[in-house]
Amino acid sequence: MERVRGTTALAAAAAVALTGAAVWQLSGGAGAAPGAGGTSQQQADGYPGLPHTSVQASPGGCGTGWSSTRAATGLQVFDVANSGIAPADVQLIEPASGAVLGEVEGLAPNRSRPLLVRLAAGSYAFRCLQQDVDAATGPTVKVTGSGSGSGSGSGSGQGTPAVVPVTQQDLIPVALAYQHWVAGQLPGLVADVDALHSAVASGDLAGAKQRWLTAHLAYERLGAAYGAFGDVDDEINGPRSHDTGFHGVEYGLWHQGSTTGLEPVAAKLLTDVKGLAAGWPKVQLDPAVLGVRAHEIVENAVEFELSGRTDYGSDSNLATVGANLDGTTEVLTLLRPLLTSRVPMPQIDAAMAAARAQLAADGNTPLGSLTQPQREKLNAVFGDLVEQLAPIAAVLEVRRTQ
Amino acid sequence: MSAQPKDVARRAVLAGALATGAAAALTGASTARATTPSGDAPRGFHGVHQAGVLTPKRRVAAFVSFDVTAGDRAGLTDLFGTLTDRVRALTTGGVPEPLGISAPPADSGVLGPVPPGGLLTALVAVGASLFDERFGLAARRPVRLSTMPAFPDDDLDPSVCHGDLLLQLEADDTDVIASALRDIARHTRGAMQVRWRVDGFASPPRPVGTPRNLMGFRDGTANPDTGDTRLMDQLLWVDAGQGEPAWATNGSYLAVRLIRMLVEFWDRVGITEQERMFGRRKDSGAPLDGQAETDTPDFGADPTGDVIPMDSHIRLANPRTAQTAAQRLLRRGFNYDRGTDANGNLDMGLVFCAFQQDLERQFAAVQRRLAGEPLVDYIRPFGGGYFFVLPGVRDANDRYARDLLA
Repeated sequence: MERVRGTTALAAAAAVALTGAAVWQLSGGAGAAPGAGGTSQQQADGYPGLPHTSVQASPGGCGTGWSSTRAATGLQVFDVANSGIAPADVQLIEPASGAVLGEVEGLAPNRSRPLLVRLAAGSYAFRCLQQDVDAATGPTVKVTGSGSGSGSGSGSGQGTPAVVPVTQQDLIPVALAYQHWVAGQLPGLVADVDALHSAVASGDLAGAKQRWLTAHLAYERLGAAYGAFGDVDDEINGPRSHDTGFHGVEYGLWHQGSTTGLEPVAAKLLTDVKGLAAGWPKVQLDPAVLGVRAHEIVENAVEFELSGRTDYGSDSNLATVGANLDGTTEVLTLLRPLLTSRVPMPQIDAAMAAARAQLAADGNTPLGSLTQPQREKLNAVFGDLVEQLAPIAAVLEVRRTQ
Repeated sequence: MSAQPKDVARRAVLAGALATGAAAALTGASTARATTPSGDAPRGFHGVHQAGVLTPKRRVAAFVSFDVTAGDRAGLTDLFGTLTDRVRALTTGGVPEPLGISAPPADSGVLGPVPPGGLLTALVAVGASLFDERFGLAARRPVRLSTMPAFPDDDLDPSVCHGDLLLQLEADDTDVIASALRDIARHTRGAMQVRWRVDGFASPPRPVGTPRNLMGFRDGTANPDTGDTRLMDQLLWVDAGQGEPAWATNGSYLAVRLIRMLVEFWDRVGITEQERMFGRRKDSGAPLDGQAETDTPDFGADPTGDVIPMDSHIRLANPRTAQTAAQRLLRRGFNYDRGTDANGNLDMGLVFCAFQQDLERQFAAVQRRLAGEPLVDYIRPFGGGYFFVLPGVRDANDRYARDLLA
């Protein structure tokens, strides 16, 4: 099972990129002028009570409206208005490192949106990325003052975390390496499914059950590749069906207690994974989805495996979760060079290790046989893990910088 | 209608035999103070005592029991630190911290970009199981904290009983509860897990006076006066000199009882019988020997129970004698309504909550006296637990359970 959240969002963004300028010119832009006073509802939604600074964003006037004389530390709002003729991404950056503290993405011409940020003392600038135009960086503004002001949840002197954005170019080598890793796994998967098919065809129930587990785990280990597998993934491993794919074979083996009638299902499964392996060299994995995958594999494990929803008799959910952790580990290993400076990797590694340890402690116990304390501990460890992994998708979102 | 004679017969037998059965103090008796939902300005987060005890009930509540999954004392200390930070932030309101591109948003946004302060009242309490071997706290257990026993005729479901930690969330709107619970769970996922949860609501006065429970009777009429500081010190708060560990001072004990009301059955009972079970009029809430809700029943003038039956709820719960004065407790329950059972009957009733200084002296003593009252046929206590309400978080540098974990 998989989700293609990342690719969908990117496809939509790409569509805006292609047509945005033309559409805005045809429609004459939006009604309200930037900086004009809004309704009371708009004001209530726009952080009343915080310092506001109006800033212009256009290739020729990026950051206009903010200067050192008006700069202050603390929690504040920049009302960023796009005075250009095309949609733009606007970032508040540290010019020395290029790290981003906040952004407004896809800001339409003649529109203003608030950018909320907590500034510590330092040097900052706005970067305006209008479509089809080179990036423009506004004047560097030096902010002085003590600490970062008061407010909930802030460490003393800490501003909003600044993160160096990741570009498509950064992710391409990772995607290629990942594709290579998958290519290395696929022959084993085909062999495992072939063995499963043979056992089913020869009526060897015990052997078929054992080979089903091996083959299914081999598939589950590929986690991050699901997006690239497309619709065939649903045929192979769809959770809602018990007459096709892995779960069709599982249902038959464990519920009817014989291999009778399962040969065609196993044969179709073999055909599908062979097709997958044969087609893999032609697949172009979207580099942008890797960050999303790093947390979605475990999200899916929580939703579909730890809930028991995908169990069709084999009681192997925990083993499947272990295979999903293998897939996540592979993605994290390949992404690690990009992640170490952007997210707290020691915390993430600790959460991964805790998840491994909990699975080892629970063995391959059927979910339904876990005691309440065991179940709570399992839910706690995986609940914590998905929280720790979530920032990876945020920092690895592909952003323009030039 | 062949069932009717049988029901009546069963009732008569039970009413006559004051031996079996159990009931919670659905309605008590003493001096009067109506607890009205909302209205008053909310108390701030910091204080000697926690909010959610003496503060007026708000319109909706969630009772969420957690088991601590943190592995050791350090993890438990982190958990109480996080709970303090989150409850302080959620009750105070304000702009959620911007995280830029480093992470998903810090807040769900359910209450808007700038959640207002004062919308939430939260209370944190701990169960006896927190003081087992896991965290080395056995020697610091509040001396009167135990695991809630099954009283006669309780029908307890272990999956909705007890817990290491109880969170009582109150607000005037449900979205506040939903977003608060979501926030707290998000920040504590690794350290605690929900064991059970039940949501409740406080009814408005109908038409005036103390709000009614789902049996249609006013509930809480005879509560002790929460404005009487001296009385609260006598009945509610833990203080030095009670043999409790020093850290427990300014805490309190909370009995939570999930009590289903068999409302279909109840609705098939005549009004006179209903009123004689409670000892009060249904319409006005007046004791059966009085005119107004606030009238004090005079049991001495009715020694054989001709007006207010000897086994009526208010007479058993609070006999209004000098000897039972110290047994009074503060009831602060919420009605609940949560779907239907397999028979198609409505699952509704009361989240009974009682605060006190001593569970044995107060709640358990009253509960034992109520055993076998006629009302037990129409209610079914199925869950809950005993908890110790932690002392309040005094200021910005304090946190829940600071002295317990010191």
